[in-house]
Amino acid sequence: MTRTILLTVATVLAAAVLAGAAAAQNEPRRAEPDATLGVVYADGRRTEDVPVYRLEEDSEELFVSAYDLARIFRASRFWNPSARKLNLRIENRSFLFTIDTRVVVADESPVLLRVPVRYANGSVMVPLEFISEVLPRGTLGNVDLDEQRLVLTIGSPEYNVTGVTFEEDEHESRAVLALSEELLYHVDAETPGLLRLKIYGGKVNTLLIGATPGKGLFNRVRAEQTEHDAYLFFDVRRSAERFRVEFLDADRRSGLPNRLVIHLERGEQPEIPGVELAGRRMTEILDDADRGRGGAIVKVAIDPGHGGIDNGKVGPSGLLEKDVNLHLAVMLRELLAGQYGMEVLLTRTTDELVPLSRRAEIANEWGADIFISIHCNGWFHPDAGGFETFFLSPARTEEDIRLASEENASLQFEGTGIGSEDLGDLGFILWDMVQNEFISESSGLAELIQRELDKVLDIRNRGVKQAGLIVLKGCRMPAVLVETAFLSNPSEEKMLTDARFRQDLVRGIAEGISRFRSRFSGAGATSR
Amino acid sequence: MIDTDLGRKIVAVLLIVAAVIVGTVLVRRWIERHGEERPGLQVVPEETRSVTLYFASRQADGLVTETREIPVETGLESEVRAVMTALAAGPQGDDGVSAIPPGTLLLQAYWVEETLTLYLDFNRTISSAHPGGSAAEYYTIAQIVRTIQANFPQVRHLQILIDGYPVETIAGHYAVDKPIDVMKWR
Repeated sequence: MTRTILLTVATVLAAAVLAGAAAAQNEPRRAEPDATLGVVYADGRRTEDVPVYRLEEDSEELFVSAYDLARIFRASRFWNPSARKLNLRIENRSFLFTIDTRVVVADESPVLLRVPVRYANGSVMVPLEFISEVLPRGTLGNVDLDEQRLVLTIGSPEYNVTGVTFEEDEHESRAVLALSEELLYHVDAETPGLLRLKIYGGKVNTLLIGATPGKGLFNRVRAEQTEHDAYLFFDVRRSAERFRVEFLDADRRSGLPNRLVIHLERGEQPEIPGVELAGRRMTEILDDADRGRGGAIVKVAIDPGHGGIDNGKVGPSGLLEKDVNLHLAVMLRELLAGQYGMEVLLTRTTDELVPLSRRAEIANEWGADIFISIHCNGWFHPDAGGFETFFLSPARTEEDIRLASEENASLQFEGTGIGSEDLGDLGFILWDMVQNEFISESSGLAELIQRELDKVLDIRNRGVKQAGLIVLKGCRMPAVLVETAFLSNPSEEKMLTDARFRQDLVRGIAEGISRFRSRFSGAGATSR
Repeated sequence: MIDTDLGRKIVAVLLIVAAVIVGTVLVRRWIERHGEERPGLQVVPEETRSVTLYFASRQADGLVTETREIPVETGLESEVRAVMTALAAGPQGDDGVSAIPPGTLLLQAYWVEETLTLYLDFNRTISSAHPGGSAAEYYTIAQIVRTIQANFPQVRHLQILIDGYPVETIAGHYAVDKPIDVMKWR
């Protein structure tokens, strides 16, 4: 009897353990790291431990996440989700990984790894062999991986701000900075008698710069190096009237490097104008050949928010945001295609989950002129209500700007890096930067839609807002997100079920788009 | 006979010892409980600091503030933890609504001095218990960012992590995959 009970208990326990193990295998879990890789930097960053994983059953190879890899090597990451490809730009070099394959395209030549690149723990996982074998083959120096002790040493960076000289004639004084690559910069003249030059991603020999004597209107210069950027401080004479900064590309024939020239003009009054943001390269990152500007605005991409397992907001009586969004999108398509003669594409036409970054990609691939994302709002308290329209506020941190400049530098680099045509073919985009150049049009579109919605809706006008909405980030066209009404507000939830209200909403949005078309399209667009 | 006598003595001694121990414990507990009332044994209050917490308005159209006294902790990370715990506990007044889902916990705060970046590692509840809606998600982030900005001026960038990992968004709208510039974020 006792034995029977014991046996039963043991069987049940064993079954539970097995079931547990099976469940654990099915669900993507966060694996515990198998080891840690110590990373020692010579550039002032703090030594850190990075988790590494053993992902192959029959191999001792350790993997590091691309996320950590990018941080360690200050790389920009470009991700093509549909092709399952990841491109890492490290200094002037480009590495293309494809998940579940062993080939890494280093610059333009393929290299075979011992084990494939994997996708695990929510990240692309790269075998350490990449650091020890593939990385050092090119120009990148001073990377040392001790595979026994698992210590990675990153050597001191080379200077890219290589020197300063001063020149003078009767009109002006000039400070000429030699740069080994094209870098973004920012000049701030807010403090009288001081010009503060910040060079994003600059690496400067502060001793060398500080030892260069000033000339003419420049009294003195000193340099400072921070983790990411270089700063130069120019003491200028009071008789300096205004300054101008220009960037000169390297001249191969005369052997001159890239130069940043600060012209300081002599004048009667000590007056230096305000801040100048020199984002010259920022707007040139993307070629505008296929932007289709100045032409007619005819192609509208409509993005019904959420879908599939992502319900979005659920109203108090059970109305699902994803369903409302899709229905509104379909109605808007009918109206725009019928009454306004536009071409319309929906990012989803069924109840499915389309990843956020994929939505912009769909619009980009189709060549949309406008992107409209449709959502319903939600709040913790039933009182909140109204409609609002968003456009993107770019998350342009210093890091992004630095990455953009590095990215640009790698495009400039002839011979080794992949050219911009290849970049276009592969569909790689530095996501955070793409929408930046359409911000003013996007803001105009948001204003017009909000204004037209106000004419047809009786709920609160919450205004036009700017926010870091991820779905708008990758759009290479004016893009807005409309929050139609609050599903968390019982009376607005009821309105959202009403055909008349939905009709009004769609009419307002369509009229806003139409007004935008009249204002921003080239000649002829309005006659359609 | 002798045995029984000895046994009784031992039992008696043990009983006395037990009585003394129980008595001491009871008296000590009484002193602990009533000690504060006696001026001579008053507990010195901990050093506290006044902090500002940001909550959202009922209509989701702005932020409201409340102040709290929190014990002064050693180090930025533990102080951040105390402030975030107070924030996650929600407002005490009637004006504010918290957009941080109940049950949200700050697991860890990491401060990286070199980049002036604060990493806030929350448990999954912040995302899994989020009711959705872009207004709700906006104020979840806004409460965190503005509270950190108000109380820790040395923090320039802030990154929200969930269970130790960076995430694209908390509820499907706002990008939190990279450090947020606390001055510029809106």
